[in-house]
Amino acid sequence: MPAQTDISDSILEVPPPRRRRRRDWTGLLYVAPALVLVAVFFLIPLGMSIWMSFHAWPLIGVPRWIGLDNYARLWGDTSFWSALVFTIQYTIAATVGLLGVAFVLALMVQGEGRAIAFYRTAYFLPVVTGFASASLLWAWLSNVDAGLFSPLAQDLGMTDGRVNILATFTPAFWSVTIMVIWKMAGFYMVIIMSGLQAIPTDYQEAARIDGASWGQRFRWITLPLIRRPFALALILAVAGSMLAFDQFYIILNGGPQNQTVTVVYRIFNESFVSFRLGYGAALSVVLLVILLVLSVVQLWLLRDKGDQS
Amino acid sequence: MNRIGDNATVTAGLSLKRVHKSFGSIEVLKDINLNIKGGEFVVFVGPSGCGKSTLLRLIAGLEEVTAGEIIISGRDVTDTDPSRRGIAMVFQSYALYPHMSVAENMGFSLKVARRPKDELRRKVEKAAGTLRLTDYLDRRPGQLSGGQRQRVAIGRAIVRDPDVFLFDEPLSNLDAELRVEMRIEIARLHRELGNTMVYVTHDQTEAMTLADKIVVLRAGRIEQVGTREELYDDPDNIFVAGFIGSPKMNFFSARLDGGEIEIGGHRLPGPAVKTLSKGEITLGVRPEHLRLAEKGEPFFPFRVKFAEFLGGATYLYGDVGDGALCTIASDRKTQAKAGTELRVMADPKFMTAFDDKGVRVR
Ligand SMILES: Nc1ncnc2c1ncn2[C@@H]1O[C@H](COP(=O)(O)OP(=O)(O)O)[C@@H](O)[C@H]1O
Ligand SMILES: [Mg+2]
Repeated sequence: MPAQTDISDSILEVPPPRRRRRRDWTGLLYVAPALVLVAVFFLIPLGMSIWMSFHAWPLIGVPRWIGLDNYARLWGDTSFWSALVFTIQYTIAATVGLLGVAFVLALMVQGEGRAIAFYRTAYFLPVVTGFASASLLWAWLSNVDAGLFSPLAQDLGMTDGRVNILATFTPAFWSVTIMVIWKMAGFYMVIIMSGLQAIPTDYQEAARIDGASWGQRFRWITLPLIRRPFALALILAVAGSMLAFDQFYIILNGGPQNQTVTVVYRIFNESFVSFRLGYGAALSVVLLVILLVLSVVQLWLLRDKGDQS
Repeated sequence: MNRIGDNATVTAGLSLKRVHKSFGSIEVLKDINLNIKGGEFVVFVGPSGCGKSTLLRLIAGLEEVTAGEIIISGRDVTDTDPSRRGIAMVFQSYALYPHMSVAENMGFSLKVARRPKDELRRKVEKAAGTLRLTDYLDRRPGQLSGGQRQRVAIGRAIVRDPDVFLFDEPLSNLDAELRVEMRIEIARLHRELGNTMVYVTHDQTEAMTLADKIVVLRAGRIEQVGTREELYDDPDNIFVAGFIGSPKMNFFSARLDGGEIEIGGHRLPGPAVKTLSKGEITLGVRPEHLRLAEKGEPFFPFRVKFAEFLGGATYLYGDVGDGALCTIASDRKTQAKAGTELRVMADPKFMTAFDDKGVRVR
C-alpha cells in the first residue's frame, strides 16, 4: 500500500494566526483585583516610603526636602548598626532553631494514624495564636516573681534564690528565641512536611533495596528532593526574623540596657517615638534592600545545579 | 540449582513456604507455596488487585510476611533486610532518583556501599553498554524517553548483580510498540545474564511470551502454576482457562451424557471425562478449535454478529443457540456476514469440561 504522501515540502505559505485582542483585555480584567491589591498595599506604600526618606518629615508641620541627608546620617548612626548586628544574630539563632526543630517535627509526624494526626495539630496550634498574645504569655511566664520559670527553677533547687532571666542579656535573648521557636516551628513543620510527602515512597524503597541506610537516604534522597520547600521555609524564616519586633518590645522592652533592640524596633522608635518619619522611612528602605539581597543569595545558594545543563 | 551457559555459574533459586500476608484484618495473600528454580523466568499474572505486587514486595523485603518463610539461594531471608537478600527490583514507576544523572542512578548502590570509584565506573559502563545507554550517562531521568528510563531502571538492577531480579509491571507505562520492543529486550537480558527473574504483570500476553513458568494468581491465591503450554492446553479451572489466551476461551452450558454432550438441543461427541459420566457441565473450547462442520457431521448452530478481519486470521463474534457468546478464529477464506448462521463443531480432544464450581473435570 502506498504511504500517505508527505505535503510538508509543498507548503509555500502558512496563514498568520488571527489576533484575538478581546481575549487579551479579558485576561487583564481577571488579574485586575490582584493588581489593585498589590498596588494599594505594596507599591504605593513603598513609593511613599522612598519619597518620605528624602525628607525631614515631622508628625506635625511641613515636610522639607533634604535629598540624601537621611541616608548620610544613617551611615554614621551606630545605634542603627548595632541594632542590625543584633537582628542578624537573632536571625541566625532563630532560623537554625526553627528549621532544625521543624525538620525533626516533620519527620516525626510523617506517618498516618490517629495519634500522629493529634500531634500534628498540637505542634501547629501555637502558630495560630498571635505574636502579641504569645509574647504576653511568655512575659508572664518569665516574670521573676509571678511567673513560672524562675520560681520553678528555685523550687527544684536548680538556682540559689530567684534569678531574673530577663535581667541579663544571654538568658533573656534565649528565652525570647525559644518562645519564637515554640510558636513558629509548627508553621515550618507544615512546609517541610508537605515537601516530604511529595517524595514518592518508591524512591525510598528503591534506595533501601540499593542498601542505603536511614542516614544515607536522608542525605542523598530526602534532602535534595525537599530543596524547594526548604528554600521557601528558609526565606520565610530569615525574612520573618529580620523583621522581628513584637516579642522584643513586649517581653523585653528592648532591654536589658537596650541590647535587644532590633532594626524594626529602631524604625518604630525613630518614627513613632521621636516622630522623625523621614529618617524612619530611610531605615525601612535600607532594611528592604538588605532583605532583598539576602533572599536572592539564598535562592542562588539553593538553586538546582543540574537545571542549567 | 541448575547450570547456565558454559561458565557454569550456579544461580539462585527462590522458595515461598506457606506465605500469608494481611493488611490489618484483610488477608491479601493466602498460603502461597512456590518453588522457583535458579535461572528460571517466572511470571506472576492475574487481574489487578489480586496481590501480585504485594507478593513481589514480600520477596523484596519491602513488606513483612504475616506468616511463612521466604528462601533465596537456600538461605532463609524472611527477616533479612531488602539490601541483603540478593535481589534487585525494577519498579512500575521506575523510581529513578530525579536529581541524579543516569550514571549516578545506576551506581547508587555501589556508592552507598562505599565501593572504589573505578569499580563503580566500570560496572556502570558495562551495564550501560549492555542496555545501549552509554550516550546518556550524564543526563537526568527527566531528559529521557519512557523506554530509556525503563532501561536505566533495569541498569540500576544489573549493577547490583543480584541473584534474583524482580520486575513489577515494568512495561505498563510504555506505549504498545515500545512494550513489544522492551519485552524482547528483557527476554534477551534473561538469556544473557541467566539470573532468576520474577516478573509481575496483569497482561497474559506478556506472561505467555516471557515466562518459563507462569503463576496465575486470583484474590490472593495461586490458581495454577505451569509452563505456558500446560496452562493453555490443560487449565486446572475455569478462571485460568478464561484468563490465559486471547481471544478468550468460549464457555457453553452443556449436558454430559455418556461420551456425548448436548448444547442447546444439539448432540455431538464430547470430551473424554473419566470422573463424571452424566451431568451439567461448563464446556470450554478455544476460538481456534471451533471449525465449520462438514456435511453429515454433528454440529451446533452459531449466528454471526460481526466479523473482524486481521489479515492472518478472521475472528467471528456471535452466539450459539442458547444465547451464549462465542468467538471463532477462522482463516480468511471464511466470509461471513452478520446474521449468517453457521454449523460449527469442535474436535472432542480440544474440549475441556468444568464442574459447577469451575473446577476442571478430567
Ligand atoms: N499497604 C497496603 N495497605 C492495605 N492494603 C493494601 C496495601 N497494599 C496493597 N493492599 C491491598 O492488597 C490487595 C493486593 O494489592 P496489590 O498486591 O497491589 O495487587 P496487584 O499488584 O495484583 O494489582 C489490594 O486489594 C490492595 O488494596
Ligand atoms: Mg500491582
